[in-house]
Amino acid sequence: MNSLERILRATRLEPVDRTPLVPQLFGHAAITAGLSLRDYLHDGEALAHAQVLERERYRTDAVFAFLDFGVEAEALGAPLSFRADRYPDVVGCVLRAEDDPSRLRLPDPAAAGRMPVCLQALRAMRRRLGDDALVAGAVAGPMTTSAQLYGIENALYLAIDDPPRLAAALDFATRLAIAYGLAQLDAGAHAVIVFEPAASPAVVPPAFFREFVAPRLARVLGGLRDGGAAFTWLNIAGPTAGILDAYARIGADVATFDYYLSAAEACHLLPQTCLAGNLRSLDFLDAAPGVVEHQARELVVAFEGRSGFLLSSGCEIPPEAAAESIAAMAAALSVE
Amino acid sequence: MDGPYSSGPSTGAAFQPLVDALLVGDHKRAAAVAQHLVEQGCSRERIVTEGLEHAMGLLDEKCTVESFNLLEIMLVGRAVSAVVRVLYPGGYAPTEGRATFVIATLEGDVHDLGKNIVRMVLAGKGFRVVDLGRDCPVGDLVSAAQHEGAAAVLVSGLISPVVSQVRKLRPALRACGLAHVPVVAGGAALKQLRPEALDVDYVAENAFDGAHYLERHVLGTPGS
Repeated sequence: MNSLERILRATRLEPVDRTPLVPQLFGHAAITAGLSLRDYLHDGEALAHAQVLERERYRTDAVFAFLDFGVEAEALGAPLSFRADRYPDVVGCVLRAEDDPSRLRLPDPAAAGRMPVCLQALRAMRRRLGDDALVAGAVAGPMTTSAQLYGIENALYLAIDDPPRLAAALDFATRLAIAYGLAQLDAGAHAVIVFEPAASPAVVPPAFFREFVAPRLARVLGGLRDGGAAFTWLNIAGPTAGILDAYARIGADVATFDYYLSAAEACHLLPQTCLAGNLRSLDFLDAAPGVVEHQARELVVAFEGRSGFLLSSGCEIPPEAAAESIAAMAAALSVE
Repeated sequence: MDGPYSSGPSTGAAFQPLVDALLVGDHKRAAAVAQHLVEQGCSRERIVTEGLEHAMGLLDEKCTVESFNLLEIMLVGRAVSAVVRVLYPGGYAPTEGRATFVIATLEGDVHDLGKNIVRMVLAGKGFRVVDLGRDCPVGDLVSAAQHEGAAAVLVSGLISPVVSQVRKLRPALRACGLAHVPVVAGGAALKQLRPEALDVDYVAENAFDGAHYLERHVLGTPGS
């Protein structure tokens, strides 16, 4: 059973030879490869090389063409500020609060901003790995992109002041996520993870999520599935207990859950969905490797007999995380 | 001059429409109700204590760890600001004698929504809050703490690169003779770490938790 087969079986809740190891290692791969984050985020070949190196080092089952949450806004004209060792910041909004999003046109993923970097990385990773390991793409969900286009405060106020305008922005961002995701599938991604941090219950109430976000996420996941994705994956960090049960109805085959929920709670809310989580991401900076290994082992034990589990973190493992802690997570699987 | 016993509504019930408007985040209605109260002769202090502070207290009770979300807090914050503009067109004067806090999002992090929420909560409780904005160098924050006579220094962080900046704060305060000034951290990244790992006095789960800590442990008052 190779890495991709292992993950695919887990997404279908079928037995696997060992728990798939799918930590959210994105920018950390740049550090491993000796690259600056800025270079990593501008060169698809370099990103692919670093991801493959990262997988070899920690024996993970997946590689990721995740860049940052500025990609979609940048492709629509937003200025970004780059620094050598950090993810970029969106420093100017594409839309003012009073702007109608209907003036926006979908960008061409083959040419707009750094979208081609992602596509180049996917092609390179697929060329290197074939179907041995999961090659995953990434798009921002509708709320996250809308927050980047308007600025998060303006986007949130629109929910109350002008719901039709926010709905129009969300609909545009939905079409954008589908178009960008389909381009990633065409470039070689087996699946495309939908990241939607701005729809976390830490940001918006569950009722807002169900009314504004969930229907659009369903369209994104459906569009990716229709476009050939091997499975769908929804990734929202934070205290998601109030929304997790909706993921199955939205159409997520894999659901990330963060450290706020226990494995038992997540299994109760999503009994028929593959779960990915939920190690505390900043423990990889701070906790002793032995602690990380112990927590990872407890998670594996918690899912014994269920299948449908990917050992991961609830959020991205920081680029500056300690190599020993990541290795400790991997070591937890060696005793299975 | 206004005073707590000046004329105007005599019972807390008169402030209920204002509290209701604040809690649903209706900033236009809240401002209109506040204007009506002023025209009735109600003192600004009563509107603050029985309207704004009462609403903030109710919001505090509602915002448990599980139900705290930025949208609802922001809407209430905007409504509070609208009322403050009605009451103090020339600018809001903090309650006399209340402590000053300095707050910032440190260098490497430009996400300041959480910081703004904390500022709003503390200002709503009558404290003076000096906001140094986002991407703030540690040295600037320490200088402000010194200059303002801060009762505590508050830092918010959404992303992990800010952790190393937070760890520089205590030594920098100590170097300026401010070892006694407590440091409180919060935000999605920082709250995953223990106080000793960040070298701070307290890591707050959310804005209200941080405010409680400041009231109880820094200022020695019962808090809300």
